[in-house]
Amino acid sequence: MNHELEETSIEGPASIPGWGSLEFSRRLGLQALGATALAGGIASLSSATLAAAATKSHVIKIGYVTPSTGALADFAGPDKYVLSLIRASSYFKNGITIGGTKYSIQIITADSQSNPSIASQVTTQLIQKNGVDIIVTSSAPETTVPVSAVCEAAGVPCLSTVCPWEAWYSGLGGTLSAQGAATSGAFKYCSMFFFGVPEFVECFLPMWNRVQASTGANKVFGGMFPNDADGNAFRGAFPPIVTAMSGGKYSFVDGGAYTDLSSDYSSMISTFKNGKCDFFVNCPLPPDFNTFWKQASQQGYKPKLATVAKVMLFPTDVYALGALSNNIATDAWFTPYAPYKSSLTGMTGYQFAANYQKKTGQQWVQSMGSTYSLFEVVIQALKTVKNPHDRKAVAHALQHVNYVGMSGPLNFAAKTNPAPGVGIIKPVGIQWKPGTTATVGHKKWSWSPYVVDNTLNKHVPLTGALRPTNA
Amino acid sequence: MIWVNVLIQGILIGGFYALFACGLSLMFGVMKVINLAHGDIAVVAGYVAVFLAPQLHIPEVWSFIIVVPIFAVAGYLIQRTLIQKSIDRDPFTTLLVTFGFSVVIENLLLEIYTANGQSVNIGALIGDSIHVSNVIYISYISLAVLVTAVVVLAALQLFLSKSGTGRLIRAVADDREAAQLSGANYRHIFGIAAAIAFATVALAGIAYGMMTEFAPTSGGVNLLFAFESVVIGGIGSLWGTLIGGVLLGIAQQVGAHINPEYQVLAGNLLFLVILGVRPHGLFGKKTAFS
Repeated sequence: MNHELEETSIEGPASIPGWGSLEFSRRLGLQALGATALAGGIASLSSATLAAAATKSHVIKIGYVTPSTGALADFAGPDKYVLSLIRASSYFKNGITIGGTKYSIQIITADSQSNPSIASQVTTQLIQKNGVDIIVTSSAPETTVPVSAVCEAAGVPCLSTVCPWEAWYSGLGGTLSAQGAATSGAFKYCSMFFFGVPEFVECFLPMWNRVQASTGANKVFGGMFPNDADGNAFRGAFPPIVTAMSGGKYSFVDGGAYTDLSSDYSSMISTFKNGKCDFFVNCPLPPDFNTFWKQASQQGYKPKLATVAKVMLFPTDVYALGALSNNIATDAWFTPYAPYKSSLTGMTGYQFAANYQKKTGQQWVQSMGSTYSLFEVVIQALKTVKNPHDRKAVAHALQHVNYVGMSGPLNFAAKTNPAPGVGIIKPVGIQWKPGTTATVGHKKWSWSPYVVDNTLNKHVPLTGALRPTNA
Repeated sequence: MIWVNVLIQGILIGGFYALFACGLSLMFGVMKVINLAHGDIAVVAGYVAVFLAPQLHIPEVWSFIIVVPIFAVAGYLIQRTLIQKSIDRDPFTTLLVTFGFSVVIENLLLEIYTANGQSVNIGALIGDSIHVSNVIYISYISLAVLVTAVVVLAALQLFLSKSGTGRLIRAVADDREAAQLSGANYRHIFGIAAAIAFATVALAGIAYGMMTEFAPTSGGVNLLFAFESVVIGGIGSLWGTLIGGVLLGIAQQVGAHINPEYQVLAGNLLFLVILGVRPHGLFGKKTAFS
């Protein structure tokens, strides 16, 4: 009971975007720590002995924890392809010379099964059994928070991505102010790169402004925020940031804290219709957006622009929704169109995505870029240390990497970063439209994402025109 | 006007609940089996519609033409083997077996089709509706589901009361031993009832797939609403199941209209009240399906 009280007493809107709230991620962190507390005594003991043995080893072992199966499996879709490229690159193939000694690099992957407790278990195993030197992980607080928590406790350098930084930071026990700024310091062993709630607003707001100017739409946005950790956090944080950034231009209509997996959204749809909400934002579970959007169309709610978070990131959701996906906007942290190259091989983002489509027959997805960059960042860090088995030095190096690679310029030590050890990449606005042969690799898919707004990252060229979701 | 819309949308979603609950009601009424895999069977129907129909060059809208017969046959076979075996032991075994069946189905679907969301794609029809007024829109798909529910339940009621097989089903449901003494092969009759139940749940699964996006684990969500519809309407009454579904839908809409937070809660409250005031449901009878 005390436990509950403690958690709910966190003040302020726990500015949490996409996938997970402060409260939720704190739980994940605590859960993960609980799991290691059992195995953890052994972890610290054996890590000491392993570390002693490892200092003499000429192998650098990198553990990669990823949700290969389960609800988050979409994120891990390109893993195999990305790892094959990484393993073929020269440092991984031929080894890396550090302090005059040549080391070979080994990557060991582990499946989190999209389950926080499994994520912490496999991380503990990677540390104890495999004696890894570094752990990298990706995809949602459900993966990154428990993995990072175990690493922080066991003293293993850890790098995460694809998780709103607020959820990750607070999940690891960091504190946030009411405005969503970090108020505690760096973690000893953990670092991450991605973005947070302010970037969601910065990404969506310019699109609203443009559509508002061209259509004279009502300056009202409707929010479909469920009664879950994500939804409540979004409800708390998103509207105030919009007000601050737009100078109060847009007013907010709350669709109500509905229960996840509801089968009917008629009342919310009437609320949005009555409020004349020409803009629409959300952070639902994918099936709920599917239901909602079909019913909205049936019942005549046609917002001028829908900017969605947490859904429509991957083609799966888009194909399931079919024709109604047209011109729905969301964020993208990797697109093949940016002039970014691999820092390992010089391969361009375009080749990277086009070859993926050729090799696997699957449509490119945005998580491939961030997964690739995990390993780029590790190499950058290793280049600056004297001993790759010196965990403190490696963790410190990871927190100070500053380079340009597949995800663009990425500086973990920039003054503008929201928290120490948190690198920020800037998303752009995309819209889903019918595919053409002009997209990546000249392969036509039924639906493709087009970059329609690059206010946040001018490096990424526009590939399509921003159109109202409903004319 | 807004309350008229609340009522209409409630009835429409209620039609879906009733269609979904029909098979559950039948299996519970006849075999006294609470099929915990009911929702998962519906999800399987959705997958069959999405993946098999295009291979046979049938538009997904018409997929029920092949899916429903397949499920009827599957229902008969599963009843005669798996479920009958557990009925022969004791009622708790049927609970465990259907629960296990549910877990197996979910994991198999996950293994074969991954966790990706799927939807039965019916093209532009999904977004269309009858525009009654600025407040009231009646979607074609919801209306079609409601009509299907009414037709299916009416046909089934007629079948049970008029046909020879229907009478046998009722006889077996009432008193298995007595029916057996009179020469009825109750195992075969159970099989027929299960075939009908599986056929209707296949219909509901396809409808569900059209209305939303499903994944291997989507089955459990609607099982609760189906169960509530059966209990509200009364066990052993198919018309009751229809009324139960519709009342549940209306209760949820009224709750949601007050505050979306109360949508599910309002339905559950109605269920609790009915359970408290009339434990055998609104139309529950001593003799099933009479």
